[in-house]
Amino acid sequence: MIKLLGVSKYYQNKFDKTYILRNINLEIKEGEFVSIMGPSGAGKSTLLYIIGMLDSASEGEYYFLDEQVHKMKEKRLTELHKSHIGFVFQQYHLIDELTVYENIETPLLYQKVSGSERKGKVAELLDRFNMVAKKDLFPNQLSGGQQQLAAIARAIISKPKLILADEPTGNLHSDQGKEIMQLLKKLNDEGTTIIQVTHSEENAKYGNRIIKLSDGWIEKE
Amino acid sequence: MFKNYLKIAFRNLKRDKIYSFINIFGLAIGIACCLLILLFINSEINYDSFHEKADRIYRVNNELKYGSTELSMAVCSDCLGPTMKQVYPEIEEYVRIYNFAGTKLVKKGDGYNTEYSTAYTDSSFFKVFSFPVISGTTDKAFTQPNTVVINETIARKYFGTTEAVDKYIETDENRSTLYKVTAVIEDMPKNSHFRFDMLFPLKYMNYDFGYYVSANFHTYLLLREGTDYKDIDKKLIEYNDNYVFPSAQKFMNIGSKEDFYKAGNKILNELVPLKDIHLYSERSYEMSPSGTIQYVYIFAAIALFILFIACINFMNLTTARSANRAREVGIRKVLGTERKNLMLQFLSESTFMSLIAVVFAVGITLLVLPYFGEISDKEFKISDIFSGTILSFLLVLPIAVGIIAGSYPALFLSRFMPVEILKGKFSGGSKSGKLRSVLVVFQFATSVILITGTIIIYNQLNFIQNKKLGYKKEQMLIINNAYYLDKNVEIFKNEMKNIAGVKSATVSGFLPIPSQRSFNAFFKEATMGSDFGTTMQRWRVDYDYLETYGIEIKEGRNFSQQFASDSSAIILNETAVKQFGYTNPVGQKIYSIGESGKNLSFTIIGVVKDFNFESLRQNIGSLGFILGRSTGSITFNVNVADLPKIISAAEAKWKDLASGKPFGYRFLDEAFDEMYRTEKRVGNIALTFSVLAVIVACLGLFGLATFLAEQKTKEIGIRKVLGAPISSLLIMLSKEFLKWVIIANIIALPAAYYFMNKWLQDFAYRIEISWWTFILTSGISLLIALATVSFQAIKAAMANPVESLKYE
Repeated sequence: MIKLLGVSKYYQNKFDKTYILRNINLEIKEGEFVSIMGPSGAGKSTLLYIIGMLDSASEGEYYFLDEQVHKMKEKRLTELHKSHIGFVFQQYHLIDELTVYENIETPLLYQKVSGSERKGKVAELLDRFNMVAKKDLFPNQLSGGQQQLAAIARAIISKPKLILADEPTGNLHSDQGKEIMQLLKKLNDEGTTIIQVTHSEENAKYGNRIIKLSDGWIEKE
Repeated sequence: MFKNYLKIAFRNLKRDKIYSFINIFGLAIGIACCLLILLFINSEINYDSFHEKADRIYRVNNELKYGSTELSMAVCSDCLGPTMKQVYPEIEEYVRIYNFAGTKLVKKGDGYNTEYSTAYTDSSFFKVFSFPVISGTTDKAFTQPNTVVINETIARKYFGTTEAVDKYIETDENRSTLYKVTAVIEDMPKNSHFRFDMLFPLKYMNYDFGYYVSANFHTYLLLREGTDYKDIDKKLIEYNDNYVFPSAQKFMNIGSKEDFYKAGNKILNELVPLKDIHLYSERSYEMSPSGTIQYVYIFAAIALFILFIACINFMNLTTARSANRAREVGIRKVLGTERKNLMLQFLSESTFMSLIAVVFAVGITLLVLPYFGEISDKEFKISDIFSGTILSFLLVLPIAVGIIAGSYPALFLSRFMPVEILKGKFSGGSKSGKLRSVLVVFQFATSVILITGTIIIYNQLNFIQNKKLGYKKEQMLIINNAYYLDKNVEIFKNEMKNIAGVKSATVSGFLPIPSQRSFNAFFKEATMGSDFGTTMQRWRVDYDYLETYGIEIKEGRNFSQQFASDSSAIILNETAVKQFGYTNPVGQKIYSIGESGKNLSFTIIGVVKDFNFESLRQNIGSLGFILGRSTGSITFNVNVADLPKIISAAEAKWKDLASGKPFGYRFLDEAFDEMYRTEKRVGNIALTFSVLAVIVACLGLFGLATFLAEQKTKEIGIRKVLGAPISSLLIMLSKEFLKWVIIANIIALPAAYYFMNKWLQDFAYRIEISWWTFILTSGISLLIALATVSFQAIKAAMANPVESLKYE
């Protein structure tokens, strides 16, 4: 599904290059649950964003579903990630001005899904996540765990093949964290590929593969 | 999707109440200003356009230069219209208006009312002009003697109804004359350059018709379709050569045509389009004071500036807030929106905001419309706002403003890389900081120009009011229309003199305010034509005139009853003496032509100091006083304390002596102020709009200060923890704004100096623009800016640092 060949990311300063990622070679198959681990500043998030097409590599080749991402135009990129990729962030990143219901609905708006279909899909997810009672609340009226639940609901509403999670439990206490991890595990069991960035060994155990990064290098698997 | 945008827009509005208020209210004020000025301009440029044939109607102007006499008049000979129509088929119709007959006294009950707006006109009047008829017909108007067409106001005043056709109006002419009403028309609209209440048939007027060289009629020509009026100007040259010149030779002792023109003289008639009269024609004997196109331009510029300032605020605040919106943009991008959609979102949001502003603006406009009508000396109807041009302006404006104001944030915000924003690397709007400061500078520069302009206009008005004019302006009571007293004028004057508080009195229609005038050519030699002579005003006064008006005698003496020869004496002012070139004027003789063509000679017995007998826009001209009867008005120099008694005594005596004619009086200083009504009006409008511009600019500054304080909350918190005193924090927060305002002043003051100097050139007597005006303006603008900013700065500096740091 995902294939990275010699991917590097650096920032050009006046005299030298600061490397974030160095010569990453990586292949991830459909259905995997991968955890990217490593100390702060190792380049975990950057790798995640490159995979998620929110950032681009400085060098190397990137294939997503056998398409050459590194040569793609902006429009096609948007197209790809809006139909195949869902994001979950540590800070949830819900839109403050929209209710839970509207937040979950937003990706469908961009995919031009009809009104009745949207209603059905959002209702189904709210039901599944036990959030029907909260649907008209605004993000700041929810607890962190509930916000993250809403964010995950938003990430999976358009049934993406891949979910990218950047420390999804980083801001949550352990009970809530566990709940979120179980949910991700369940999604993976249903066939969704998941890549998460995490500091926690415990969370990494939910996955079936661990990639360790240090100073931009892949250390070992 | 669109609903989603509106929802976000609306919730943003509700969440940031201060921003929303500043944004919408500021823009609304800007639009309201623009609307008011548009209404003003609309009414100025649409003068006389209500006539169906307005595009084909032209007025004949008259240009005359003979020796030092130069006249540029709105009137011409009674012969011009008929002759032109007879000779040139391009002229479909002509109509003449004669309005020099003065007022009519119309009987109502036992007494008389004075009707000021009366005129005589031709039967073609209603064929050329379009004035709606309420009752009766205008087909045969002005074809019969002793008929009259009246307007609604007159009909209601004298008959209590508009059904006045076939009823009679009685005037005092020949003791009593009856006029049959043939039609009642609607009151002439305010945007007509002439407005009459009563119109009489010109054909039966008591006037010596048939002189080509006279000039007493406002003459309008209706040209046939497709005629170029410039061609008619050429025909008018022919007309002058064929008719006017031969007649002038006979009457005025002129040699050959070639000699006449070679000496720089001219007789010229030209057409001016009806719709241009109000704004472009400023001639002698205009029927209403003209507007000037310059003021229209100035006001249009002010309107644009204020609108621009409001738009700048809008843009400024929106971009300043982009930091807050950046996260939303980032998320939306992650969720897969395209840039196009984001831009659309921001554009529709700003359009939505400006739509709300337009609604408020219309509300504000409706609220202040009566007040604005008062200060701008116009009458506006609410329906004016919803008329063609202005309505389309109201519809186009929000979209235009929305797009202009929304385009920057739309382009700027939609460009963000989502990763950067979400990682928190995005530094809120700092990139646009430079643009923002330019915009603030521009706003304040505009405000400073307006403030300076207002101060200078008021200074000039003040200067005019307090200038030493060379005569007494205060404590002068003028009794109007003293000719009603007829032979009793002297009795009235002498009896009034005995009343306590009356210091002196004089009978003369010639006053140092707009009143009776008489221009005459004077020559140094008894044989006319040897020199072109000097045109000067000749005022007929009595023995007491100079004393009553406090005009100082420089040389020689005043008129005196002891000298019988004073009937042919003349007193000149200094300017006239200079123009004649006398070093010892007293005792010299000058000559003139009398009404019957007879030579008159005058002996100079005295010279008075120059005094401003015309508007201060003009330099003092030549003037001579002679003894003579002119009963236009009686002026009393009075003691203000006794004024009520004096007026009631005057009225009582008037009743005895003027046999039922209406009594009227005014005060010289008030009549004097009336001469500067246009300037006062401009001053009022400038004051109003500069206040508004300052308010709008301050709103913008306030919003930016709020934003800056918010952005620096964390920095302020840290600094306070480290022990910074509040004063240093205040300086930190206000410094930048003050710098902008100072730069704005540096740019604006020279510009203001330039513009206002130009404006002052209209006055022959004017103030020097002094440096303190600029100090004052700078001070005001700095103070206002400081007050605006410090409110937020103090709030931010006083806040508990723990709060702000915990929040972060």
